[in-house]
Amino acid sequence: MEIVVEEKEGYHVITPVGELDVYTVPLFRKVVLKQEGNRSHEIILDLTGVSFIDSSGLGSLLEVYQKIQSVQGELLFVIDNPRMLKIFKLVNLDKVFRVFSNLGSALQHVGVTGGYVDEDFFSDSVE
Amino acid sequence: MKRMNPFNNNKKLRVEFPCRKKSLKKARMRVEDFAVTNGFEQEAADIALATQEALKNVIQHACPIDNRMRLEGEAEDDSLTIIISDTGKGFEQCALDAGPSSPLSVHGRGLQLIKGVMDEMDINTCKDGTAIRMVKHKYGV
Repeated sequence: MEIVVEEKEGYHVITPVGELDVYTVPLFRKVVLKQEGNRSHEIILDLTGVSFIDSSGLGSLLEVYQKIQSVQGELLFVIDNPRMLKIFKLVNLDKVFRVFSNLGSALQHVGVTGGYVDEDFFSDSVE
Repeated sequence: MKRMNPFNNNKKLRVEFPCRKKSLKKARMRVEDFAVTNGFEQEAADIALATQEALKNVIQHACPIDNRMRLEGEAEDDSLTIIISDTGKGFEQCALDAGPSSPLSVHGRGLQLIKGVMDEMDINTCKDGTAIRMVKHKYGV
């Protein structure tokens, strides 16, 4: 697994790429739970690059959620994969987490707009 | 004359893996291939996830004497059965059935996921080992 961490006007956008399971969770926890800085509890987790998740991966997301909740922070998820959404629904996490279908929408929600465009919204293409 | 192995043909699978995390992906991929080969393309991802969860339980709770976990698969026209077994110490079934202790609990979602993605699941556990049997029906059959 690779994990890309970017800062967008104070928000941490964290993008794990690969499988998020019992094997890779230790690395994920190490990177995500140790974010530092003034707005380290304002995180967007972009899961569009995650190809597989198991119950340990889900547990690690809950761990991040609990940490952010404890400091009244904000945690948003970006998920565009129907399979991932299905798994979230199976364990009722779709009712707990705030999920957006693309990073642009999540950034717009938190008011971070600089350099980011929701391509679907601004698209001229006609179906 | 060469004898046919009744297992590991297209319809049946029997493999063993060392009881460690590194085996999980290998086992999952093997089951996914088995499912796809037998026409369960749409169901393969669910079956693979359930397999990983069941094997994780073996690694985390069973501590098998021989340090092995066994995986058997059987495909029929309309359903695919996976059995994961071990020679571990067994466990209290009620502890597993309980699921997560709260909606935000970090642990306890393995069996919840298996029940969610598979159509049938039963567990036989005793002090000499555990076997979990999981069945997936083909969509639309």
